[in-house]
Amino acid sequence: MKRIAFAVALVFSLALAQTVGNEPPPDLSPQVFEIAKKLRCPVCRGESAAESSAGVTEEMRRQIAEMLAEGKSEDEIIQYFVDRYTEWILYEPPKRGLGLVVWLAPLIGLGLFGFGLYGYLKTASRRERALSGLEDVSEEELARALAELERDDTSEEQP
Amino acid sequence: MRTVAGILVALAIGAILWWGMQTKDERSELPSALAGRPAPAFALEPLPSFRERWGGELDLADYLGKQPIVLNFWASWCYPACYEEAPILEAAWRRWGDRVLFVGVNTQDEIDKAEKFVTQFGLSFPNVYDPRGKVGIDYGMYGVPETFAISADGRVVRRHAGSIDATQLEAMIREVLP
Repeated sequence: MKRIAFAVALVFSLALAQTVGNEPPPDLSPQVFEIAKKLRCPVCRGESAAESSAGVTEEMRRQIAEMLAEGKSEDEIIQYFVDRYTEWILYEPPKRGLGLVVWLAPLIGLGLFGFGLYGYLKTASRRERALSGLEDVSEEELARALAELERDDTSEEQP
Repeated sequence: MRTVAGILVALAIGAILWWGMQTKDERSELPSALAGRPAPAFALEPLPSFRERWGGELDLADYLGKQPIVLNFWASWCYPACYEEAPILEAAWRRWGDRVLFVGVNTQDEIDKAEKFVTQFGLSFPNVYDPRGKVGIDYGMYGVPETFAISADGRVVRRHAGSIDATQLEAMIREVLP
């Protein structure tokens, strides 16, 4: 009997929890979040409309869900927000105009880094080659050069 | 040659840094996609104190294209910005109310708290209730408070994000007065 009463109470409390208020629908499809991920949260820094818990993004996700239910495509939904917020609302900058610079900047940076590295390695290998030239000197010649140096030193010490 | 290249790279990096620091991330200066475009219409229920005078539904379409409109988005939880500008908006409504319609859009709020706010500042211009904040998104709003000036031909002329002061509001109104 207790169990039945508990079950009834549970059903009632769940039904109450379902009342329509200002809360977002709890069962938003993953597709909603996929689209929201491509949009910026207008009041946050560096957060997409999918991650943020700000009120405005809750409403954005709710509107995305409604537009999907109306049969609108992803492009149409994104355009809806661009029409109202400009391309600023896109989480990833568009691959044209100033946005293209943002996309190309890492490549340009990588190119400059590669160019610098190439220059450095070239100089380093040239220096190494110059040093390795010493290996060509025979031991005999080296011993003679050292002996000559030593002789110079001793002659300097005894004027 | 190498020194010149080094200086040029350093200058380029310096210029990018300088440009980055110049680009202000102030919401009031972010562009409005709506500037010059027809203001989106909406029909919402006024807050309880305004139902007697404005009826069960205020449809902006009834006023768009007929007279200039100042649209203000606010919420009772928006402290202190909304609290700072509320008396300024009320004073401006009392001064220009015969030529410009003021509409407050209470956004993502609770009716009781919104009503308390209305009473606190004695707001007499119509205020509608938008619990979802749907209209705000239609206007490309970033966050409350934001104020929009709509010309007599129904186009969005100016947008101000953040608390508005008397001078800014007057400039906005003068821009839409016929």
